Amino acid sequence: MKLARRLTLAAFAGVLALGTAMPSYAADLIAIITPSHDNPFFKAEAVGAEAKAKELGYETLVLVHDDDANKQSQLIDTAIGRGAKAIILDNAGSEASIAAVQKAKDAKIPSFLIDREINATGVAVSQIVSNNYQGAQLGAEEFVKLMGEKGNYVELLGREADLNAGIRSKGYHDIIDEYPDLKMVAQQSANWSQTEGYSKMETILQANPDIKGVIAGNDTMAMGAIAALQAAGRKDVIVVGFDGSNDVRDSIKAGGIKATVMQPAYAQAQMAVEQADAYIKTGKAPAEEKQLMDCVLINADNADKLETFALKD
Amino acid sequence: MPRFTAAAALCLASATLMVLAGCKIIKTPTAEEAAEAASDGFNPERQATELWTPKVVPYLTSKAGPYAEVAALIASDPDAAAAKYGHKEKEGNAPWTYAANISGTVIKAETTSRAGYLDTDIDGDGKADVRVQIGPVIKGTAIRDSLDFVSFNQFKNQIQWAEFGKAFNADLNSQVLQALPREGLEGKTIEAVGAYPLPAKGQLPLLTPVNVAIGG
Repeated sequence: MKLARRLTLAAFAGVLALGTAMPSYAADLIAIITPSHDNPFFKAEAVGAEAKAKELGYETLVLVHDDDANKQSQLIDTAIGRGAKAIILDNAGSEASIAAVQKAKDAKIPSFLIDREINATGVAVSQIVSNNYQGAQLGAEEFVKLMGEKGNYVELLGREADLNAGIRSKGYHDIIDEYPDLKMVAQQSANWSQTEGYSKMETILQANPDIKGVIAGNDTMAMGAIAALQAAGRKDVIVVGFDGSNDVRDSIKAGGIKATVMQPAYAQAQMAVEQADAYIKTGKAPAEEKQLMDCVLINADNADKLETFALKD
Repeated sequence: MPRFTAAAALCLASATLMVLAGCKIIKTPTAEEAAEAASDGFNPERQATELWTPKVVPYLTSKAGPYAEVAALIASDPDAAAAKYGHKEKEGNAPWTYAANISGTVIKAETTSRAGYLDTDIDGDGKADVRVQIGPVIKGTAIRDSLDFVSFNQFKNQIQWAEFGKAFNADLNSQVLQALPREGLEGKTIEAVGAYPLPAKGQLPLLTPVNVAIGG
C-alpha cells in the first residue's frame, strides 16, 4: 500500500513540473477554499489556515471560488479528486453551498466551515461563524455614541447578493433605528469596493452636504468614503467601518475613520484546522457544530494592538 | 344623476349584505402570524415572552449570587465561578455571562441617552461598582447568553439567534423597565437581579436586569 502510494506520488511528480519539490513522504492534504484574496480578510483566513495546517504536518491546497457557487462546486470536486482529508471552507452562499458540502460528505471528506454559515446542520462537521450581527451592533452602538444620538447619516451597503451585507445592515439598523433623532438621508450599495465607496460618497455628499456621519458595511468602502470626504474638506464627518483591516487601523490612528469592528479571521481559520486535525486523528467532532465567533470593537483606544485581523494582548 | 348613483349604491350595499349574511367570516391572519407562517414557525417574540415569566426570571433569580461574591470568585477561581454562576456557548469565543444580584445605591443616573443606565455603588465607598441598564435601548444580549436551556445550535442561523436575543430585551422593557421612574434616581437605593458578560479590563460590569426595584 505504502509502496503503491509512493509510486503514485512519483508518477504524479513526474507529470507535474520537474522543478516541483515533492516531499519525501505522503503527508495528508487539507484543502482551503475561500472567496478571492483581493479582500485582505479572506487572505488572512487562507494564510491562517495554511500556517496552522503546515505546523500540524499537512500539505495544503489553497483555492478561491470568487463567490461563485458553480466554481465552488468544481473546487470541491478537485479536493475530492486529490484525496483531501478535510476541507476548510468559507462558502459561496448559505443555500447554494449545502449541496457542495453534502457532496464532500458523501465522498467521506469532512468539511469545516469558517466565517459564513449554511442554512443546514449535520452536513459540515463544524461551522465556525463570524458573528456579523453582533459585530454590526457593536459598530452601530459606537456610531450612535460618536453621533451624540442625533443627526443625518449615510449608509454604504455591501454587495446586495451577499448574505453578510444584509446581516450587517440589519445589525446596524436594529440599533440605530431605536434613536429617532438619527436620520438616514441616503443608503446605497458600493459593492464592498473602495473605488465605488469613493464615487458614491462624492455624489451623496453633493446632494446631502448636511451629513454628520457615514456607516459602511465594510472597511474598503469606509476607506473610499473617508478619502472622498477628505478630498471635499469634510474632516468633521464621522466614518465607521467593519472588518478590522490594517488600512482602517492606520486611518484611525491618523484621526480619519473613527471605528471599525474586527472579525477574528486568522484565529477562526486556525481553529477550524485544529478541529479538522482532531477529527482526522481521533474521529472526534467538536461539542457543537455551530460556533459563533464574536467581533471586537476597534477605536482609538485599541487600534495600536490590531495586526492582520488579530488583537495583540 | 347623483341621486341615481346613491340609489344604486344602496341597492348594491343591501345586496352585498344579503350575500354576506350567508357567509362564514374567516379571521384574517395578523401580520405577525403571517410572518411566522412565512418563516417556518419562527416567532422570536412569542418564544421569548413564553419563557420570560415561567423560566427566565426564576432561572436567573435562583442562579444569581451577590455581585461581590461572584466577582471575587471570578478573580480567585474562574472555573468555579463559571460553573456556579456562569453560562456560555460550548464552542466559539463568546465570553462567560454571569448571573448576579445587587443591592446598593444609585450614584449616577444616565437618563438623557436612550441607552440609559444607573451606576451603582455596592460596597459603600461612593464609587460605582456595577452599571445597570435601564433602556429603553438595551445593549448586547446578556439575558439570552446567560440561559443554559437555549443554544445557537437550536436556531437556523445567526439572524434568528440574534432576533431571539433581542426579543428578551423587548420583554425586559415592557415587563420591567417601563414602570421604572426616570427622575430623581440618584441617591436612591436599588435592588436588581440580572446577568452580565465578563467586562473588558478597566470597564464597569454592565448588568442587564430581569428585576429592578428602586427604594427610598
